[in-house]
Amino acid sequence: MKRAIMMNSRDNVATALENLDAGALTSVILPSQEVLKEVLTMQAIPFGHKLAITGIKKGNKVIKYGEIIGNASQNIAPGDNVHVHNVKSNRMQMPEIWYREEG
Amino acid sequence: MKFNGYERPDGSVGVRNILLVLAVADCSEPVARMIAEEIYGAFAITQHYGCIPGQMVANTLIGVGENPNVAAVLLVGMGCEGMPAHALGKTIKRSGKPVEWISIQELGGTHNALTKGKQILKGMSEKISRLKRKEFDISKLIIGVKCGGSDTTSGLAGNPAVGAFVDMLIDAGGAAIMSEPIEAVGAEEPLAKRALNEEVKKQIYKMIGDEEKRWSVPGAQMEFMCKGNVDGGLTTIEEKSLGAIHKSGSRPIVGVLENSDRLLEKVPEGAGFYLQDGTHMEPMAMSFMAAAGAQMVIFVTGCGGTFGHAIVPMIKVTGNPETYSKMPGDMDINAGTIITGEESIDSVGRRIFDEVIEVASGKATLGETLGYHNFSVYRRDPRLEALLKISK
Repeated sequence: MKRAIMMNSRDNVATALENLDAGALTSVILPSQEVLKEVLTMQAIPFGHKLAITGIKKGNKVIKYGEIIGNASQNIAPGDNVHVHNVKSNRMQMPEIWYREEG
Repeated sequence: MKFNGYERPDGSVGVRNILLVLAVADCSEPVARMIAEEIYGAFAITQHYGCIPGQMVANTLIGVGENPNVAAVLLVGMGCEGMPAHALGKTIKRSGKPVEWISIQELGGTHNALTKGKQILKGMSEKISRLKRKEFDISKLIIGVKCGGSDTTSGLAGNPAVGAFVDMLIDAGGAAIMSEPIEAVGAEEPLAKRALNEEVKKQIYKMIGDEEKRWSVPGAQMEFMCKGNVDGGLTTIEEKSLGAIHKSGSRPIVGVLENSDRLLEKVPEGAGFYLQDGTHMEPMAMSFMAAAGAQMVIFVTGCGGTFGHAIVPMIKVTGNPETYSKMPGDMDINAGTIITGEESIDSVGRRIFDEVIEVASGKATLGETLGYHNFSVYRRDPRLEALLKISK
């Protein structure tokens, strides 16, 4: 089974350690390599990109490394790709060109 | 733990023996380059903010001239600039190393300046070629850490491995420095928790807060993350910062070094981890860290990067196994083994440590074997500082 890593036990996202296909059962591991759970991907997740390991409601915190990396700009389901299309920084917004290119 | 370096008259220790030709502004750069071209071991650098670039640029050039990797300096000026070669030269000369300067106008133009410049430089080359490496304790080493072209492997593998190295270096008596305040936005708390005392904690918050102000001026759309960051999976500045600070290790932050029009503060003697009020742009940040006394830089990249720095050897570390296999001629250290599960973070940190000792003792980095001599300086515009009410 392909793997994604959750950096801290408080996190609600994990980072894909390989390219993940849509609809694939993915094993979520901790930095100790211990398998925590399995999550079904909702979309394809490229290597290095994030998937939600729990549902995250619009406006709620997205947590990686045990810290807040931004807030959900729309409802996110478990297994969803989590990136610039559904997360906004609480500090500094990037120029819109990135969002257009991602879309 | 020991390494073999060059002792300088001021007691600092270089890991290289550079013969530097410093054009004080880009107008005198062609003459400086032509002088350096024919002399063994010499190369020329300049800055591109014109001949009245302000004190911050002057501070950087002086610091670079004073860097222990630099054995001798020839400054080349046009003669009419607001930041004259003799003024910088006199300051650098206080370090005790051979320093001379020429003015193209005073010497009567290109031809005479080339003749005189080459004559001086040839003498310096002979003199510094006689210097020999000696054994020194690792406590003489100051290592800069920087990341760039980051993707998410930087936060998962490359930066944590460098962080493990930084902890080993500090425990062994060395010092490390990180200079990228924008890449601490969103990571204030984990950094502040490591502050040695309340004063340092305050300085950390101020440095990051000031940089956030500069890069989020209403009405000015500024890019502070690159396309490669986003393509590589980094979503927000907070995520990028939280990954970036992993390379700072876990030891106490003993100081925030000032870098302003007023002062470019050097890394003090002794072990410890320092933040510098610098910039996140790679060669420019490296120039700042070099000016503060760093003799080497560890550069962590996800996307890959093919450059070096004129003053400080750069060890390139990638946490992306694909990047390592695509660019093996550029990446010194493969930390992608952490991603593939083949190696632990500490084990890669140990490999970086061993490589640092080798490179400090003379082993060429891949960037050096390729002849990379990148150099650029960064200037904060004093007008923007005033408008944003950023005070030192």
